Amino acid sequence: MKKFICGILAISSIALLLSGCSAKPDAPASSDAATEARDFGEGMVFKHGFDLDYPPYSHLDDNGEVGGFDVELAQAVCDYYGWKYEAVPFNWDAKDAELNAGSCDCIWSGFTRNGREDDYCWSIDYSDNTQMILVPADSDIKTLADLSGKVVGVQTATSAYDLLQDEEGQKPLCDTFASLEVFETYTIAFTALKSGAIDAIAIDVTTGQFLMNGEEGYAFLDEVLGSEQYAIGFRKGDTELRDKVNEALTALVEDGTYAEIGEKYPDIKDFLCLKPSSEQ
Amino acid sequence: MTFSTMLLTMGEGMLLTILLFALTLIGSMPLGMVVMFMEKSRIKPIAWLTKVYIAIMRGTPLMLQLLVWRFGPYYLFGISIGSAKLPALLIGFILNYAAYFAEIYRSGMDSMPVGQYEAAGILGYTKIQTFFKIILPQVIKRVLPSVTNEVITLVKDTSLASVLAYAEVFSIAKQISASQTSFIPFVIAGVFYFVANFIVAFIMERIEKSMQYYK
Amino acid sequence: MVLEMTNIRKHFGDLEVLKDIELKVDNGEVVSIIGPSGSGKSTLLRCATFLERIDGGEIKYLDKTAASTKDNTVVYAGKKQLKEIKKSFGLVFQQFNLFPHYSVLKNVMDAPVSVLGRNKDEVEKEARELLDKMGLRDKADSYPCELSGGQQQRVAIARALAMKPDILFFDEPTSALDPELTLEVLRIIKQLAEEKMTMVIVTHEMSFARAVSNRVIFMDGGYIVEQGDPEEVFGNPKQERTKQFLKNYEG
Repeated sequence: MKKFICGILAISSIALLLSGCSAKPDAPASSDAATEARDFGEGMVFKHGFDLDYPPYSHLDDNGEVGGFDVELAQAVCDYYGWKYEAVPFNWDAKDAELNAGSCDCIWSGFTRNGREDDYCWSIDYSDNTQMILVPADSDIKTLADLSGKVVGVQTATSAYDLLQDEEGQKPLCDTFASLEVFETYTIAFTALKSGAIDAIAIDVTTGQFLMNGEEGYAFLDEVLGSEQYAIGFRKGDTELRDKVNEALTALVEDGTYAEIGEKYPDIKDFLCLKPSSEQ
Repeated sequence: MTFSTMLLTMGEGMLLTILLFALTLIGSMPLGMVVMFMEKSRIKPIAWLTKVYIAIMRGTPLMLQLLVWRFGPYYLFGISIGSAKLPALLIGFILNYAAYFAEIYRSGMDSMPVGQYEAAGILGYTKIQTFFKIILPQVIKRVLPSVTNEVITLVKDTSLASVLAYAEVFSIAKQISASQTSFIPFVIAGVFYFVANFIVAFIMERIEKSMQYYK
Repeated sequence: MVLEMTNIRKHFGDLEVLKDIELKVDNGEVVSIIGPSGSGKSTLLRCATFLERIDGGEIKYLDKTAASTKDNTVVYAGKKQLKEIKKSFGLVFQQFNLFPHYSVLKNVMDAPVSVLGRNKDEVEKEARELLDKMGLRDKADSYPCELSGGQQQRVAIARALAMKPDILFFDEPTSALDPELTLEVLRIIKQLAEEKMTMVIVTHEMSFARAVSNRVIFMDGGYIVEQGDPEEVFGNPKQERTKQFLKNYEG
């Protein structure tokens, strides 16, 4: 019987967690377990947690291998210290459980810092991001106000979605929509847009540009929906590792590695916000 | 990404799907038999507990159960979990499917005419002989169509493993679809599931036919 | 005595089905039990074959006690002894209860081989002889579902005989059969009677019971109302209820 009570408890706790409720156990016990006895020396395993559904920050590349800007940057950080890089792809919905349970050391996957300041131990911001509205070029929607009475699509558990659900953010605007359609992926949302099932998509500018590659007849509205910064989220209290990664990031910016990796990702290179001291 | 790279990458996912499918079947079909006997146990607490277990397994989404097996150890006991996903997936899938198989077996057992037990008893067969020689072969024949249904459902249910980012074919299809802004990976995944189930249906039909020599 | 049942009582809930019944069967004797539905005759057979537990009385096979009553509590013999005793009887069911997934030959052979642990070739030889005797020589490899009811019942008889029981019970062996199929089964039973097989037959076939048995028992309402020589019971019944029953039957 004990087992079943436990099972029910576990189910309810996970359900709470997934509902985005802030009742996250702050888990000092396991953070300790996961962080204790680390010397940050060569050979330390760095477990990089990310979602493979988030191009071009973390995705399957053209060779079917794990890749993306965040993955390459994380690997560069590991190379910097001589750490062993371990990729931990997770399902975005379960990211907090993965981090807290210690299967990864950080969430580093185009992860928006804004609005989550108190929930993680944050690195420095390494990329800007803007949420935009993507519409067919010939659409009669020209401003955010035109979205009133329209059907807007968004991907579940993204910052664009969060923004539209945030009373302090764009919830009032969202309330003017005929409806907000939440999709499993932006690829599906984009297909819905193409087929006329929805009128517009609320999306990160980088992801939006990525979607529009090789597609004619789509454009962003000039008005910006919201803007935010990407950073790396560590377990609360794990400042040591955070500081180490910050140090490495700064060094990689200075020696040009950061910009070099950025060059490979034209969709996002304009948003990479770290600059070497010589350029500041 | 070239089409062949896409196929190759998805091929790895297909292998993981097949692995999860096969191990789940190997684990849950015999376990279902054990669960069925526990449910029919004359020791009331065992029978009662088993009913609760079956009710939970059937009454909650499998996706939620997978999350519990993966993250429950941490949230309940503060145990830091590793990055291996297969153990949690196998526990989740096997326990869930064992509950369904147990119910299928039970319905098969309950449909057996009592005369078969009586005839075997009069002839002096022991209980174990009666079960394995007389009852089980007939029960298998009776439950085969339901089992086929369940196995086909399992093929498709393996896609739920994507909730733990297990790199089975559906997860990979989603990822490639996102990075290539293409629907083709989903089409490939669809064809894969269809072909897999076609094979399952074909094999099960053969087994059913092989038992059609009697009514 | 092959079978001795004394003071047998049995009830289902509040319903008393057997009230102090005595049934003794001698070696080579053929006993028919007749009576209206619900008279308790089938229950008596099921008690004799341990398919039902008695609530009082004593059961003995060949002087081995299977069940006895002390201080109003029924005590059955141990598992091992019961298993031994079970070898002395066989039962032929109204619904045949053949094993549908076994061929005819295997239905007959399997119990002697896997229960008695006898040599397979030897058992097969006997089984084929038995099927021959049942007129089923060419049906050995058929499956029960391919046979008529009458053929199935003959297989069931062969299956029971293959265990070489000291006594064979028949529980309404022809009730599930069409009239013409009934005849072929009755012919077999008659043949067994001529070979001095000890048998107890619960039946509704009055003329058959009259012809084949050494003794007829008429049961009604959980009692043995009348028993004796078939000519006596059928030709000159002493009890009013027996007369009534037989009259209804003829009418």
